Amino acid sequence: MSATEQPAQVPAAKPSTVLARPIASRRNLIVRGIVALALVLLLVFPFLDFVSGALIRTVTVVVMAAALAQAWNLIGGYTGYPAFGNVAFFGAGGYATAILMAKMKVDFLPAVLAGGIVAALYATLLGFPVLRLKGHYFSIATLGIAEATREVVANWDTLTGGGSGITLPISPLRPQQFNQFMYFAMLAVFVGSVVLTYFITRSKLGYGMVAIREDEDAAKSLGINTTQFKVAAFALSALITGLVGGVYAYWNSSLIPEDAFNLDYTLRAILITIIGGPGSLFGPALGAIAFEFLRNFLWDRFPGLQFTFLGVMMVLTIIFMPKGVMEFLTGRRRFTPRDLLQYVRDHRVS
Amino acid sequence: MTLDQFLSIVPQSIVNGLMLGGTLSLVALGFSIVWGILNIINLAHGAFVMLSAYFAYFMFTGFGIDPFLSIAPAMLIFFVFGYVIQRYIINNVIRAPLLVTFLLTFGLEIIFVNVALNRFGGDYRSITTAYSGIGFFIGDVRVPYIKLAALLISLLIAGALHLFLSRTRTGNAIRAVGMDIDAAKLCGVKIGQTYAITYGIGAALAAAAGVLIGMSFTITPDMGGAFNLRSFVIVVLGGLGSVPGAVLGGLIFGMVDVFAGVLVPGLKDAIAFAMLVLVLIVRPQGILGKAFYK
Amino acid sequence: MRTRISVLMLLAIAVLMVSCAPPAATNVAPTQAPAAQVTSAATKAPAGATVPAAQNFAGTITFGAPVSLTGATNNEGKYTKDGYDLAVEVINNAGGVKVGDKFYKLALKFYDDESNADTSAKLTEKLITEDKVNLLLGPYGSGPTLNATVIAEKYKVPMVEANGAAENIFNRGFKYSFGILSPGKNYLRGVLEMAISLDPNIKNVAILAANDNFSLEVADGAKQYAESKGLKVVYNEKYPPTTKDISSLLTVVKGLSPDVILGSGHLQDALLVVKQSKDLNVNAKAWGFSVGPATPEFRDSLKKDADYIFGGAQWTVALKYNGNDVFKTPDNYTKLFMAKYSYEPPYQSAESSAAVITYQKAIEAAGSFDPDKVRDALAKLDFVSFYGQIKFDERGINTFKPMAVEQLQTDGKKHTVWPADVAEAKPQYPAPTWDKR
Repeated sequence: MSATEQPAQVPAAKPSTVLARPIASRRNLIVRGIVALALVLLLVFPFLDFVSGALIRTVTVVVMAAALAQAWNLIGGYTGYPAFGNVAFFGAGGYATAILMAKMKVDFLPAVLAGGIVAALYATLLGFPVLRLKGHYFSIATLGIAEATREVVANWDTLTGGGSGITLPISPLRPQQFNQFMYFAMLAVFVGSVVLTYFITRSKLGYGMVAIREDEDAAKSLGINTTQFKVAAFALSALITGLVGGVYAYWNSSLIPEDAFNLDYTLRAILITIIGGPGSLFGPALGAIAFEFLRNFLWDRFPGLQFTFLGVMMVLTIIFMPKGVMEFLTGRRRFTPRDLLQYVRDHRVS
Repeated sequence: MTLDQFLSIVPQSIVNGLMLGGTLSLVALGFSIVWGILNIINLAHGAFVMLSAYFAYFMFTGFGIDPFLSIAPAMLIFFVFGYVIQRYIINNVIRAPLLVTFLLTFGLEIIFVNVALNRFGGDYRSITTAYSGIGFFIGDVRVPYIKLAALLISLLIAGALHLFLSRTRTGNAIRAVGMDIDAAKLCGVKIGQTYAITYGIGAALAAAAGVLIGMSFTITPDMGGAFNLRSFVIVVLGGLGSVPGAVLGGLIFGMVDVFAGVLVPGLKDAIAFAMLVLVLIVRPQGILGKAFYK
Repeated sequence: MRTRISVLMLLAIAVLMVSCAPPAATNVAPTQAPAAQVTSAATKAPAGATVPAAQNFAGTITFGAPVSLTGATNNEGKYTKDGYDLAVEVINNAGGVKVGDKFYKLALKFYDDESNADTSAKLTEKLITEDKVNLLLGPYGSGPTLNATVIAEKYKVPMVEANGAAENIFNRGFKYSFGILSPGKNYLRGVLEMAISLDPNIKNVAILAANDNFSLEVADGAKQYAESKGLKVVYNEKYPPTTKDISSLLTVVKGLSPDVILGSGHLQDALLVVKQSKDLNVNAKAWGFSVGPATPEFRDSLKKDADYIFGGAQWTVALKYNGNDVFKTPDNYTKLFMAKYSYEPPYQSAESSAAVITYQKAIEAAGSFDPDKVRDALAKLDFVSFYGQIKFDERGINTFKPMAVEQLQTDGKKHTVWPADVAEAKPQYPAPTWDKR
């Protein structure tokens, strides 16, 4: 990625607080140490004795959710374009991988990479017309694209298997090995997405994206090629989403259109990003952990009502802390009941 | 299908399209007014349609009340319901960024749908009255009474809404808030209340549509979602902020839907959305343009 | 500041890992303790076989199953679970399962999969790796079954499933999946067979199918059969599985005036086809649906408009099988079922009970409940149960049991009308046009 080499030197709109500040300090070292420790923990845990296949699966789901949210964060969080159709790229990546593996006997790794690239190309193609739209129009247009893509896939019998779906080859690995393998594949995509996001936030592209979010017209007048930047952000978001889709396809070993293009994936990515804090590097990871933990918890305690609670949680989060738990953790905002009410007062009409 | 066969079903399809479009415009009207005045994409709109269909169902099966008689009470109940939701929930974040209200209404939708699923179960229900499915012929073309009535009622309600917005004090206040909120405030319009009334009207329109839809389709907790997307397309087609626009958009959508269903049934929605993206790019203001309920 | 984030993140990861493990142990809440039920119901079961010293069980064989108790198919999931529970209870009352010369008790461990295919797979893995169940029973529906069988295959634990009829579950070369139902392609065959025998003059068939794998198989099977009998399929179109409107397709069908209209979809689509056909005055001499007519909601929703409609059925109360199992006959099964649950057993319950019976036979034949030995015994199994013949082809699906045809008749009841030798009523044919009713 060429953008990574570029130092932060764009004089565009002040990139505000969300971008990482390059302060080489001792604290920075500690941060790195802790991140490294977390990585080590993530790397060894599937090999521990007491860890069952089901637990690895649960953690893989969390990692997958985090990766999808990180991808959405690029277009929705940093660039401020509320895309509601990211599942189109999940499905596109998944189906591309599935078709390559099932019909052309391509290996897993190249197939998944191809899946990501297909998704990114699809996003680039769509990006030019769709990213001209703003706000609600953009949201719904992307939502519509996801639905339309699903229908086309569901009817393209010869290529995708249509409504009957497509079955991928079953891995020869033993179950536990396969679980570990899929976990690491998903983790690789997620870590890749974090690294990518990290470098983007320090590149011209990242500053441009934030500038577009804060004030697109101003960004344009400062000479930022907004169209190019937006399409790039959209395509990178699709690339990650497509890779996740590809890994998921192999993991699940079959795809049907209703599942691969399930709106749930998009919504979960958005909700997780919102919970974690949009436009922040670690927000999606935190959001995914919080969200999936809560989901598992609710599923245990309130079978049948878990989605209702999810809705309630969503409403409360939106009303009281739409900038996510990130704000809470960073101490940027205090969270006494008075502060929460004050926030509401600032945004309400009476 | 041969060309002859296609031509022979064109008249019936046009009638089908009109009748489907009529009901859809009623759904879209409520969606349009909330969007136009409050600048909220109300994803809970479809859930109101669904809940109202259940209301009509239970009134019919429980008390034997004819669904047509349920329309007025449903509209009243849902007006109050909508008013309360806007006043006490959505008004709290109305000045926050778009994504916030978008997600808030979506959260509400999840709650409504899942409470319905929990209370009523996933069973498919439908309202079968003594006159269900009965109709008359114009030549070869079959016109079912219920659907004809639904079309007429939809147009009637649209007309009434148009008069309400242009002739009454409250209607003027609503339009004023939609056009220029600060000016409206200066003229003494209570913004919070006007928002709540507008949202209530949106919910009431959804409720009226819900009863009509419940009579000719099946009722399930997840039936509402599809109406949000369709409403959006219709509003974009007809132009935001216009009652005739929503009606025209609905009728066009109905036609496209029916003919797509005849020719390529699998790709109905894909065609609808291709149409949406095309309109957004070519003529973002919609067919009748931005009129703000004049 | 970022230190704080990282620390918290690390903590959160740790918490998540730890917190994910306990549910395995604590989540017995929704699972009923089968032991407690067995004793209480022992007195209730009216026709249970004589109980030989029921207390001397050598151990317990536990079946695991993800079942949809919430979500879109919550009713069907409940029927499934009731079927499993009844069979476990009745077998235990009759002395359990004989393994070698010892008797084992059966138990069921289940989780709610929320009618979601992904969740079903996740729970299957949990049942195998955390709850260490011995053998697996299937979830409800083709989608969840498709996903759950993948997990079963990976871990080499057999799954006998009774509620996923899509044949492509069995076209993947799996060795550990067994389906006891007749495959999708047979669902509407009986309706056509019967229509031809009733009226040799029928010529044209129209088929409307939902675009999902089970429905497409049903439609395909019907089309092939119709064509093999010299009928002409004048219309064969699929619609999106979530559709709320089929009137456009019916308008086309009306122009083709078919003798038989077949719907291959789900309950909702079947209701739509009937309602909108009446709206548009679309007529046929015979109407057949793969799924829908067998459920009570069909009559509740459509009232008199449900008359004359045929439906394919895996099993009906009226069938006359004389089985070599604890339930023996459909009649006896119905009695036991009604005594426990106070509603007439739907076919979902019957096939689910039959899945448990199938395991009993396989375990007894293998003389072991080792997964691989049971698997081999299942592959060789061939017996007649209250549910019909149970025998698997080389792919693991029961292609040997015929489907029955039910009709909703003008007396307001549902009657089994085909095959002719077990029919309890004559088919009402042809269906009058809508304006003549």
